[in-house]
Amino acid sequence: MKLMMLALIVGALATPAVAADYNVVAGSTLGFTSSFQGESFDGSFKTFEATIRYDAADLASSKFEVKVDLASVITGDNERDGALPDSEFFDVKKFPQATFVSTGFRQSGKDVIADGTLSLKGVSKPVSLAVTFTGKGAAATLDVATTLKRLDFNVGSGEYADTSTIAAEVKVKAHLELAAK
Amino acid sequence: MPLKSTEQRWGTIAKAFHWLMALGIIAAGVLGLVMTDMERGLAKVSVFAVHKSIGLTILALFLLRLLWRFFDRRPIDEPMPRVQRVAAHAVHGVLYVFMLAMPLSGWLYNSAKGYPLQWFKQFNLPALVGKDEGLADFAIAAHEWMFWVLVAVLVAHVGGALMHHLFERDNTLLRMLPFGRLRKPKKGEPE
Repeated sequence: MKLMMLALIVGALATPAVAADYNVVAGSTLGFTSSFQGESFDGSFKTFEATIRYDAADLASSKFEVKVDLASVITGDNERDGALPDSEFFDVKKFPQATFVSTGFRQSGKDVIADGTLSLKGVSKPVSLAVTFTGKGAAATLDVATTLKRLDFNVGSGEYADTSTIAAEVKVKAHLELAAK
Repeated sequence: MPLKSTEQRWGTIAKAFHWLMALGIIAAGVLGLVMTDMERGLAKVSVFAVHKSIGLTILALFLLRLLWRFFDRRPIDEPMPRVQRVAAHAVHGVLYVFMLAMPLSGWLYNSAKGYPLQWFKQFNLPALVGKDEGLADFAIAAHEWMFWVLVAVLVAHVGGALMHHLFERDNTLLRMLPFGRLRKPKKGEPE
């Protein structure tokens, strides 16, 4: 009994309350909203991986790494889904994945912002995500949101750069269900 | 030129409706023929968008035109055999049906396919129905078939007008032309 207590205490000390490494589990989504001819549409990526280390009390050691399989995009329209992997949009043959790697976290009033680098279609640019983290211990949810300008990453090149038909801004939202490692 | 039609000629408003819609129908028809064979891309999307915008404009003009008809009179028919008179009015009736049915079948198709509908990039219009591939197939088939019938009816309409003008030498065409001056009555005819 004493031994067990000791083991628990040692265990608790060895893994400080951070328990900050998480696996992404079922129920997680990575989606976006844009608009075409004045009508908004939603899309999502069926396949993506994320390595999440997060502790609201220790932002300095928090880290997000996300890899998105661009070919897995769906938007509820066959023609659009057929066009998005093409060279004018994601160009998945050359650039199969998009990645986001955080470079730092900061508190902005009540909100937490994750700064990082998004690499998409051969372009790497700084992007900041608004972070909403809830839950403690073994299970947690993480919601991030940002707005991208698609032309910053050449998504929709050539004639598709026309923002009066395809909106310039794309809202990106991810909802991650997390389980502690 | 009076806004309202008189016994002899069409008023400015009736003429404006007639010629604006004539231009619109021709433009929509030409774009419609060209656009389906275009290569996939934004240029094609844009031509479709203009075709749809013109179609919506025709629909709006048609509704206003119908309304105007209740306030406006019609000129008296030029003298012609009964068969011709009946044929001319039948053609007008069919044209009115098409001015409504062509835009509506296009809108229905667009809705059933789940495409957006925007008027000259200014504002969006709602879908008439939800996504429905079966209905979309029906609507586009109707749209295309009606187009070819419309072409035939327009040939009759334009051909009739030209026949009156060139052979009967009456005022049928002149009284609809924007700046047309009516012919002097032929000798022996009442003023």
